[in-house]
Amino acid sequence: MSAETMLDPRAMNSPADRHAAATTDTLRANELSLGYGARQRHVTVIDSLTLGLPDGKVTAIVGPNGCGKSTLLAGLARLQLPESGAVLLEGKDIHAYKRREVAQRIALLPQETHSPEGVTVHELVRFGRQPYQGALSQWSEEDQRLVAEAMAAADIESLADRELASMSGGQRQRAWIAMALAQQTPLLLLDEPTSALDLGHQIEVFELIQRLAHEEGKTIVMVVHDLASACRYADHIVAMHAGHVIAEGAPAEVVTPELVRKLYGVECRLIPDPDTGTPLLIGVRRTSERLSGSAT
Amino acid sequence: MQAEETSPQVRRPRAHAARMTHKVSGRLALRQVMPLACLSALLTCLASLLWGAGDVGPWQALQVLAGQGSDQARFVVLELRAPRTLIGMVVGMMLACGGALMQVVARNPLAEPGLLGVSAGASFAVAVALLLGMEATGMHVMVAQSGALLGCLFVMSTVRMSGARQDPVRLVLAGAALSSLLVALTSLALLIDQRAADEIRFWVIGSLAGRSLEALYSSLPSILLAVLLTLWLARPLSAMVLGEQVASGLGHHPKRVRKVAILVVALLVGAATALAGPVAFVGLAVPYVARALCGADVRRTLWLCLPLGVTMLLSADVVSRLVVPPSELPLGVLTTLMGAPVLIAVVRARRLPTL
Amino acid sequence: MSRPSPLDPLRSAPTGTLWWRHGKLSLLLLRAPLLAAGILLLALLMASVASLMLGSAGLGPWDAFKAAFGHGEFATVFVVQELRLPRLLAGIATGAAFSLAGCLMQTLAGNRLATPGIIGIDNGATAFAVASVVGMGISLAPPVMALSGAVIATALAFGLSGGIGTRGYRFLVAGIGVGALFGAGTQLMLARVSIDAANSAYPWTVGSLNARDADSLTWLGLALLIGVPIALWLGRGLNTLRFTDRVATGLGQPVSRVRLITLWLSVVLTAAAVAVAGPVGMVALVGPEIARYLSRHKGVPLLASALAGALVMVLADLAGRTLLSPQEIPVGIVMAVVGSPYLLWILLRSPR
Repeated sequence: MSAETMLDPRAMNSPADRHAAATTDTLRANELSLGYGARQRHVTVIDSLTLGLPDGKVTAIVGPNGCGKSTLLAGLARLQLPESGAVLLEGKDIHAYKRREVAQRIALLPQETHSPEGVTVHELVRFGRQPYQGALSQWSEEDQRLVAEAMAAADIESLADRELASMSGGQRQRAWIAMALAQQTPLLLLDEPTSALDLGHQIEVFELIQRLAHEEGKTIVMVVHDLASACRYADHIVAMHAGHVIAEGAPAEVVTPELVRKLYGVECRLIPDPDTGTPLLIGVRRTSERLSGSAT
Repeated sequence: MQAEETSPQVRRPRAHAARMTHKVSGRLALRQVMPLACLSALLTCLASLLWGAGDVGPWQALQVLAGQGSDQARFVVLELRAPRTLIGMVVGMMLACGGALMQVVARNPLAEPGLLGVSAGASFAVAVALLLGMEATGMHVMVAQSGALLGCLFVMSTVRMSGARQDPVRLVLAGAALSSLLVALTSLALLIDQRAADEIRFWVIGSLAGRSLEALYSSLPSILLAVLLTLWLARPLSAMVLGEQVASGLGHHPKRVRKVAILVVALLVGAATALAGPVAFVGLAVPYVARALCGADVRRTLWLCLPLGVTMLLSADVVSRLVVPPSELPLGVLTTLMGAPVLIAVVRARRLPTL
Repeated sequence: MSRPSPLDPLRSAPTGTLWWRHGKLSLLLLRAPLLAAGILLLALLMASVASLMLGSAGLGPWDAFKAAFGHGEFATVFVVQELRLPRLLAGIATGAAFSLAGCLMQTLAGNRLATPGIIGIDNGATAFAVASVVGMGISLAPPVMALSGAVIATALAFGLSGGIGTRGYRFLVAGIGVGALFGAGTQLMLARVSIDAANSAYPWTVGSLNARDADSLTWLGLALLIGVPIALWLGRGLNTLRFTDRVATGLGQPVSRVRLITLWLSVVLTAAAVAVAGPVGMVALVGPEIARYLSRHKGVPLLASALAGALVMVLADLAGRTLLSPQEIPVGIVMAVVGSPYLLWILLRSPR
């Protein structure tokens, strides 16, 4: 069962239904609860969440600040130990894998990256091959080839010898994506890949992401802040509020004025984009009505 | 390597806000705190008169204070301990106020003259003066004050040059580097001239032992000047807490005020160093406690710093006499043991409060 | 870009690297750090010869070299073999250990100012080692004591500031506080012993190669022998630590394990070096800085750092011995005079 069939989010509300729908997906969360903090200050951010991430598609996780979307992504990437439930990778608990095995299946691009002095693009992309290397097998022809391919896919070959620190935000983000591509993983997890970029660079990165899913068949999961971009570039939207999924499915089906009001407490109207047919938000204004309670 | 990146664990604004509001509501009025602070200062003064490394015990000392006692006891208490206590009081007050002023000027709760190399500057200047053959006690004060002024100016220019204004911790690092440089140079002077070594060693460790009242008298004019300037400064300084633009909007002259305040810090810390050697952490711990008790307004902080400074310095001095009789511990050791935890506490606070 | 793209010839190594393959084994080494290490090794050799030559009795380079191997006049051989050579070796070993420890700690903390000396580890080790030297009723060897002191100081500095992963300056100041506490502790112990014992311990507390003893030097040698290969083995993991933790984890690195080993290594090396030479922490700041500069910030220059540290230490000791001869300046003071302005410069120059 794939995303197209789960059109009505309300029909999928029981965890059992969603679980059944998700069993074919490579990566999924099963009754997953995530939180942080010691006993007294403990906060549960994600509460018993079940979710499947459709293979070969771009999934965007959207929601208001503090709804737990980044925490969910960290949980999916094996960065955080669940309190209960599990993240299943190819049907097996992700924490049953070795770190390196996960790195061969999931590539992660965190929100905050840090470009150390002196690192060039090619060096950065080379790091993507680390999950396949050892202390005494540091570089092979295959590594060489895959790094070249990753750089070609992200369209940064011409920048190979440039230092990260000297590049524009969009170029740098493409370099990071190339590193993730060099990991040769079927899954790619991105945390707000365009958060610090201007409009032009945002589109540059989103189009790259879309191409990777549609042409190379990668499964892409990204946390996106901006609902409009999510509608425009994602095939599948997961809307989160206070640690729960309140809607999921194709943008055109899921994104309704009612959902927008629930998520962000604003009124809007939706019209289909004349070019792409994806929903466009217009006439956005504030309302007093907003779902109470939030995580963190 | 790169500049700071706050990790999510560090950033918890809500918890911090809760703490702050709690603090504000728990703050006490000056007139509630002041009598207690003065009482504690008086008690430590008394303790300083009663206890010492020598043979004269507390009972004998009490007799002396009551106008009786043997000649020997009278000599010890009145000629040795009383001047020492007096010097300790003055030094404590000067260091505490110097610290409080410096923290306001640098808008940084960590700006402590001892940590930032101001005391080290004073020591170094005196060491150089001794190497060049100067002897007079009165000269020491002036020399120490000019050394302190240089240290102050250097550190304050650091504040302006680097991002120290936004990042209070960087200033401390710069100060630590300056301190370690000056201490090394002072040690070097000590190595070069063995003759002056004994005299210089005092300028490296800090102590109240064997200081005469003459030293205090010779620093009195500069202390008086510092007090007058501080009285004039208090109001504009309290406005500068709101930011320099606001202060000039209120009709003050932030640049002039800052310059005068730096001069005052140098006068106070230089004189204190000339009297007792470099004594760190008094200027950090005392204003910290004062602010915690009655808020950040420098006018209140300064008043409270007077008795609290006396308390801290004299209690450290009393302990230093009692721990290893008949010899004494360096005073700086004890103030460090008392003050370094405060430094750590300030840094541990979730978000460094700016002043 | 005029240089050939690293992608075109599939069989050639990427730009700036040396690629060695044999069957399944392969190494990819960055050229710049290797080059830096070569230059530093050469400079260290020259400085070593100079250190053997210069002193109260000046020798020619060839005489000094021969005497190091036992040839030449008896007096010359004695001076070189018994006095200058052990001192030189102690300088090289302590410099390498301090500097390598500094490079490890800096990488760990993601902060070039985070050296063991600044965060109080030196002072912790010194306090405990002084305790064993002045006989505070504990009869453990100085290296062991130094190690316990270093471990306690590290635990305090990191524990009080909220963990190893904390980037930024906050934990440095916590470390300064911890260091000040231990420094006061050292003074306290020195104040309790006789003035003679205190005087004899004085040069050692500021850092000097005079007070070295053979046992501690052996321990240091062992620590280096084990530590350097481990550090090089860690190199790849350390390289990813230069990015954020999440990136390193995403690449399959066992981040917490790499951090833990790195921390231990840094602490052990620092403690062993302090037991020989006292707190000469500035080497840990200057050495890696030179290494990074020479290797043009490529990778984590572990080997080059160790060599640069050794070079700096030997030069500083040489300067300390000869500048005010016959008066000797402890190497710790020389390093503080040279290193502190450098530290200031870093602080003032680097952007926020």
